[in-house]
This record gives sequence, structure tokens and C-alpha cells, in this order.
Amino acid sequence: MALMNLIGAINHTLDYEMGRDESVVVFGEDVGLEGGVFRATVGLQEKYGAKRCFDTPIAEAAIVGTAVGMAINGLKPVAEIQFSGFAYPAFNQIISHVARMRNRTRGQRNLPLVIRMPHGGGIKALEHHSESLDTLLGHIPGLKVVTPSTPYDAKGLLLSAIRDEDPVIFLEPSKIYRAFRQEVPEDDYTIPLGKAKVLKQGTDVTVVTWGAYVHEVLKADKILQEEGINAEIIDLRTISPIDGETIIDSVQKTGRFVVIHEAAKSFGPGAELIALVNEGAFLYLEAPPTRLAGFDVTIPLPRGEHHYFLDADRMAAGIRKVVRY
Amino acid sequence: MASNIKGERDVTVAYIGDGGTSIGDFSEALNFAGVFEAPIVFIIQNNQYAISVARHKQTKAETLVQKAVAAGIPGILVDGNDLMAMYAATKDAIDRARQGGGPTLIEAYTYRLGAHTTSDDPTKYREDSEVEKWKPKDPIKRMKAYLISRGVWSEEQDEAFQEEYGEYALEVFRKVEAEGEPKVEDLFKYTYKEMPAHIREQYEEYLEYLEGKVE
Amino acid sequence: MLEFRFPDIGEGIAEGVILNWFVEVGQEVKEGDSLFLVETDKVNAEIPSPASGKIVARFGEVGDTINVGDVVVTIDDGSGVNVEPPQAEPVEEDNAAVVGALESSSQVLATSTEHSVESAEMSKGRVLATPVARKLAKDLGVDITTIQGTGPAGRVMKEDIRRAAEVKPMQAAAAAPVAAELEERIALTTLGKTIARNMAVSKQEIPHAAVMDEFDVTELVKFRQESKELAEREGSKLTYMPFLIKAVALALQEHPLFNASFSAETNEIILKKYYNMGIAVDTPDGLLVPVIKKADQKGLLALGREVQELARKARERTLSLDEIQGGTFTLTNYGAVGALTGIPVIKHPEAAILGIGSITKKPVVNDNDEITIRHILPITLAFDHRFIDGGSAGRFLMRLKAYLQEPLLLLLA
Repeated sequence: MALMNLIGAINHTLDYEMGRDESVVVFGEDVGLEGGVFRATVGLQEKYGAKRCFDTPIAEAAIVGTAVGMAINGLKPVAEIQFSGFAYPAFNQIISHVARMRNRTRGQRNLPLVIRMPHGGGIKALEHHSESLDTLLGHIPGLKVVTPSTPYDAKGLLLSAIRDEDPVIFLEPSKIYRAFRQEVPEDDYTIPLGKAKVLKQGTDVTVVTWGAYVHEVLKADKILQEEGINAEIIDLRTISPIDGETIIDSVQKTGRFVVIHEAAKSFGPGAELIALVNEGAFLYLEAPPTRLAGFDVTIPLPRGEHHYFLDADRMAAGIRKVVRY
Repeated sequence: MASNIKGERDVTVAYIGDGGTSIGDFSEALNFAGVFEAPIVFIIQNNQYAISVARHKQTKAETLVQKAVAAGIPGILVDGNDLMAMYAATKDAIDRARQGGGPTLIEAYTYRLGAHTTSDDPTKYREDSEVEKWKPKDPIKRMKAYLISRGVWSEEQDEAFQEEYGEYALEVFRKVEAEGEPKVEDLFKYTYKEMPAHIREQYEEYLEYLEGKVE
Repeated sequence: MLEFRFPDIGEGIAEGVILNWFVEVGQEVKEGDSLFLVETDKVNAEIPSPASGKIVARFGEVGDTINVGDVVVTIDDGSGVNVEPPQAEPVEEDNAAVVGALESSSQVLATSTEHSVESAEMSKGRVLATPVARKLAKDLGVDITTIQGTGPAGRVMKEDIRRAAEVKPMQAAAAAPVAAELEERIALTTLGKTIARNMAVSKQEIPHAAVMDEFDVTELVKFRQESKELAEREGSKLTYMPFLIKAVALALQEHPLFNASFSAETNEIILKKYYNMGIAVDTPDGLLVPVIKKADQKGLLALGREVQELARKARERTLSLDEIQGGTFTLTNYGAVGALTGIPVIKHPEAAILGIGSITKKPVVNDNDEITIRHILPITLAFDHRFIDGGSAGRFLMRLKAYLQEPLLLLLA
């Protein structure tokens, strides 16, 4: 057991799995020599050599395309896209090849690769450094999309992702890379993909969220507890495939549903979860299932960030409204 | 290309870093420019480092400018720290473009003396000795020395100049800092020309929320 | 006066070692000038001055370790006031990443635990209804949780709500002007509340169905008459109950579905391989159901004794917890209080209950088309229709009938 923050847990996990499995290779921009702009890959090139941990030119399409080829040929590539907003040039490779290789080859070729990237906003950076890709990626059949909210979960989920025979996109909430530490076991453990986690049991309303927002929702929960509202809080953890069962069971118990996400509201993951709730728990609803999300505008620059991203107060206000419906 | 279509004589200048030349869009742009004989000058600011990735790891090609060959356009490698050489090469390229001669690729060979950002630590990926070697080639120092040697500038003038513009920069900085937060409306109003109903709704709801909070 | 604290420069760094000082006390510095060089385990960094002014004090020598948040330098920047930036717990300085600024802190999260959602136990209390129906209930002032739904899976439909709403005004009209002395409110005792709740749960949870028959117990009456004296000598009061209990215990062995319970969460029928018969006893305080354990292994006399004993304890309210728990089947004798027939309520979570009426002499047509006088006992078998069908119920009842119409079987079996 050791106290690690999120970025430390990721670094430790990559080290651990590279040590255990020779076929795991790590690459991306500034990932080798420097150890990554967030230090996620620090020490890996020193320890495993430049053949297994290396820097690439600035070419996201090639980074992903290379991962595809390597995966077909027996390696387990863990490619890094430096920021979520840099993934756009790679989308062609992701959608046209990564997501459909198994289908195209009728199961004869599969891609056990992971694409990891810092994800989401709140780090006061320039354009393209705060993007939410859960909507765009979640919609693509053939991909698994995962996002941890704690150091413990990060290791368990990342190990599952690397060992998964399907391609996994691992979205790391950069805002909380160093925001706290947690006990992380140094031995082998995995957290299954596709399983949400109930962080707190409650009776009045089901609140589902993921990524950096998890911690803000927990703060909102404290506010609501003072008012006698007992919310059940679920960390989705895997955006695709969705753990519908956990969510439906919970809504059948509470009768109320709120989903909170960073990505813009329209056509977002919240809409998807609400559709699921309608399908599975319609007759149990006491209030309309609701989404609290980013505005349908380009994510603002640092000085406007705090308007776009919800804080605990705004989340509490939204949840309160649903409980009092 | 628009200038061509409109029959105007404007020339476009586009800048990119050495790291940027690896992205697919760059090759596509050179290629397009060549095919359409666009009046454009591409200038690569090759300062030898993307963030930590050194130039030779960006491409196996010996120079970046030779990518012009693949696109079928003229290219020229210039000492990026030589103001007058850069001026000459750029003027040449712009004149050619203006006269319908098509695009040019200029590689300005220079060096990033500082760090990528204020929190980058270059000692991780390069030797101090390398940096020391490039310091004398600092274009501003060189220009200053040249102008003084030609008698059209002096140390005193330089100091005063530094002082005045240092103050000015600080003044602008403080003024922008003081402007504080952007107007809430600014977040919403530049997404489309006319704010569509759903965005207007979100904007108004948010304003209401803010007012409720302040009360 | 500005107190400059060692800022968090990133990457989870909490402390550093001073490698070199660039300024002296008394020296004038400009904003941005390097104050000192600090070594951390990730990076060596020159720390710039946050303001212009004179260095008033320096804290820490070369080689000393400083922690994030320690005051390192005091600068007289011309402002008379100590402009110390607010320090909140935990230390959250804007931390620079190579691009962007991360918040960095040494706050520690609780160790992870994985726990799952509480099972559907809780959802049992939920009323099934569409949002439209719920709104209707709200608008009409009807408490939806009190309505028995007639829709699929017990869903409360709009008609159910409207019906409930119509009843209400009548009740309201009746209730309104009644004076206090025309009504008496009786608060339920603890036992009363328990009984009320259990009855409601039984009826809500278990779809009841029943089959009824008239048993010709003439032979049984004779047998009992002949055995009465013998029994009393053995200290056992031989009512009909021991016979019924024995017959039921034997019949259950051949019809295990009636000695079972149903689990809705797991969709399983749990067959019990033990036979504990509950006997409903009418007491002044309410209905109690003591249980005779392992009834299949006890003889008629033993059963008779135990029935007596438990009934007495029930009336005296001296039953132990063990004596009222663990039942697998219940018998209720409303015939004993004079009712001819009845439709009993199953004791949740059992599968069935046997209602015993009163024995009366009736004219019966026999096989030779002659009228004879026979002792007839009306029996009702109520059962859980979720997993027991009419066919099984009929067969169980017939088996029971066989035992009771030919009581010697009870001894021979």
C-alpha cells in the first residue's frame, strides 16, 4: 500500500504492467525522455528502454495508426494523446480502424490497445486543453471508454484496460491529477470495466456522474445532507458500455434521477442515461430525469471556466429542484 | 486561394513550429498550396525543440524545408537569427507570390533559448552547454551590436528603450489583469451569429441562477 | 510588507532543498528577479520574486529543506500592510503543469471500498405508476401509496386514482360534521400493529387463491369418540386438531410445494424439508400462531398435548420467541368459534393455509342413491397462486381428504 495521487497511480500502474508483461509498450509526444507533460510516464524509458517507451513526432493520426498496427502484430500498445483536444486528428484512425478492426476481420484480428489522454477541463489552459470527448467516443461502437475518479480506481481500471482484448480509451481527468492522494495497493488488482460504483447509498434521488465532477458532487451532497436530502451517488466509471443495471436498480429505489457531466448538454451522455432510465424505470419516476451539463458553447478560456464548469452549489441547486418536484 | 479567386494581390503568410511540421495537416497544406499555386509563404520557426522532442526525432529528413520538394514548391533554408537574411528571403517569397509565382516554404533555423512554458524544465532533455553555444546568436543581441557598430544606436538608448517598453508591457499586463472576468454573455454570444433558442435558454437560466445566488 | 511563501511548483512536490541564494538582505529586487534556486526530486527551479522592493529577511540557508507554504523571503514592497495570500486547508496553490495549471494538494482521500446498491428490498415500497398517473393523483389530492393498482404488475392506473378520488368526497362528507362523542378512537396495541401489518403484507405480496371442499369425517368423529377416554388417560385432550395436524404433515410430504415459500427477488421456490405447523389461536388480545415443531415426527397424543399447552400459553401471553417462529404451514380453526366456512389469510412467507370450519350433520346421498346422515367438515385451502396452481391444490386437498376420511391411515402411514 502506498499513498499516491492520480498521476502517481497511473505512473505506477504503467511501470507495474510493463514489468509484468513484455508486450506492453508506451509512446506519445514527450512521453519518453521527459516522462510526459504531466509526468505520467516518468522513469519508464530509463527502466524499460527506448524500444518500449519512446517519443513520437507530433502526429496524432500516426500515433493511433501505429498503435493499431502494433496491436495487430502482437503488442499491447498504450498510446498517449497529450491532451484530449489533440485527439481530433486521430479520430479518423479511431473511428475508421480502431473501433471496427474486430468486426472487419470477423474476430480474426483484435486490438488490445489503450489510448490514454488527459481529459476534461478546469486546468486554466488554452484552447483545446479542456475538451470532453465522452460523447463523441461513447457513441462509437467497438470502443470501450473509461474514466477513473480516484487513484485507487485509476490503477484497477487501467490494468483492466491494458489487459482487455478490446480497444479502450482511458480518459484521465487532468483537473484532479494532483488534487489528492489515496492508499493504492502495490500488488495486482483490477476493477472490471462496465461496472459503476455506488459511492454513497441514499433514498431520495439517484445522482450519476464521473471524472473530476465526482468530487464536486460529493461536496454538493454535503450541502444537501444539511437540508435532509439523502442522495444516492454513483460514479459511472465506464462511459461505454454503460452499467445500466446499477443505475436502473438505483432509480427504481429512489424514483428520481440526475446526471451531471462536463460535456455540453445537447446530444451528450446525460441524454443517453435519461433514455435508459425511461426505458427501465419509467413507472418508478416521481420527477423528470434531469441532466446538469455544460452549456452548448465552445469551452471558455481560463477566466470564463468557472461559469461553464459546475461547482458544488450549482449542482446542489439542480439536484434540489428534482427532489422538490 | 481566396485572393486568387477574387483577383487580389494579397499574400498570406503562415507560421508553424518544427514540431508542427509532423502533423498530417501540414503536408496537406503544402500540397494544396502547390496544386492551386496559392499566394502563400509558409515559414517554419525551427527552434530545434517541440516541447522535449528534439528536431531530429521529428523527422528523418535532414532539413524541414526539403518537404517543399515533395510538394513541388520552392523552399529556402535561412539563418533564423539573422534579421536581414530573414527579411530578404521573406520579401523574395512574398514578391514571387504577389506576381503569381505561387507558394514558398521558408525554414527559419533558430533556437529556443528559454523553456517551452514557465513550468517546463529543459535540463531534462538538453544540455546547458548546447544552450550556451546558441546564446551569442541571439538575434536581438546581434542586431543591437550591428546597429551600435554602424553608429545608429547606443547602449544608453538601448537601456532607455528597455525601460520604456518594459514599463509599457507591465502597464498593458496590469490593465488586462484589472479587466477581471469576462462578461457572462461573452461565453454565449460568439457560438453563432444569432443566439439560437436553446443557447439563449441556457444563458438566461444561468443568469437567473447567478442572481439568485447573489441575493 | 510581503511574506513570500515557497510555492507549490508542481508534480506533487511538497518540499525542496535550497541550493543557492541569488539575493541578500537589503538588496533591491524587481518583480520577476530570481530569488533562490531550489532542488526537488523532480526539478531544480529558480523561484522568481512576486514583487519589486527591498529584501527585508531571508529564511533558510543553502542546504536547508523548506516545505511548500514556508515563508522564505520577506519583501518590503512599499505596501504597509502584510499582504499575505490566504492559506486554506489543504494547501491548494495553483500548480503549473507544462501547459495549464493543476491544483495540487496533499489532501488524502478515504481508502476505497466497493459496495453495491441495496437490493430491490427497498423498491418493494414503491408504487408503480406512470408520471401522468402520479400527477393526476397529486391534482386530485389522493395519496397514491394507498391505492391498490389494477394495472399490469399492480400498476396504479388513472381509473384507480379517479375511483379513489370519488370515494374520498363521500367519506369527507360523512366525516366532516360528526361530533366527537359519535366516534371512538382505539389505538392499536403492539400486537395489534404487528397483526395489521402482517395481514397487509400477506395480502399485498401473495396473490391468494383457494379451493374448498366438504370432507366426510364421520369415521373420524367415531374414531375420536372411541379414543377420547384412552387419550385422557394418557393426559392428552384429543380434539380434532391433532388429527388435522397429522394429516396435513403427512400430506405435505407428498405435496412439498405447500410446505414452501417463494422468493420474488431470486424467482425461487424454497422447499422446506421440515414440518412446523402453526396453529392459529384466538386470544383476547388478538390472533397468535404458536408453532408445533417437527409435527411429522410426533404421534397424535403428543400432538394433542402440545396443542393444549401452546393454546394455554398463547392465552396467557407466555409464548417464547422460539414457539412462534419457524412455521412452514398454518392451520386455522374458525369452526371452533362457530363459523361454517371461511377464507383464511396465508401467513407470509408461507405458501398455504388450511381453514377448518365446523362439523355439522348433513344429509348426504351415498353410492346407492340413499340419503344418509354424515358428519361434514368444510375445508378451505388458500394458497400462493404465484407458483401453485389449482390442479396441485386440488390434489393436495384430495390427499388430505383421504387421510381424514379414513383416519386409520394416520396411524398406518
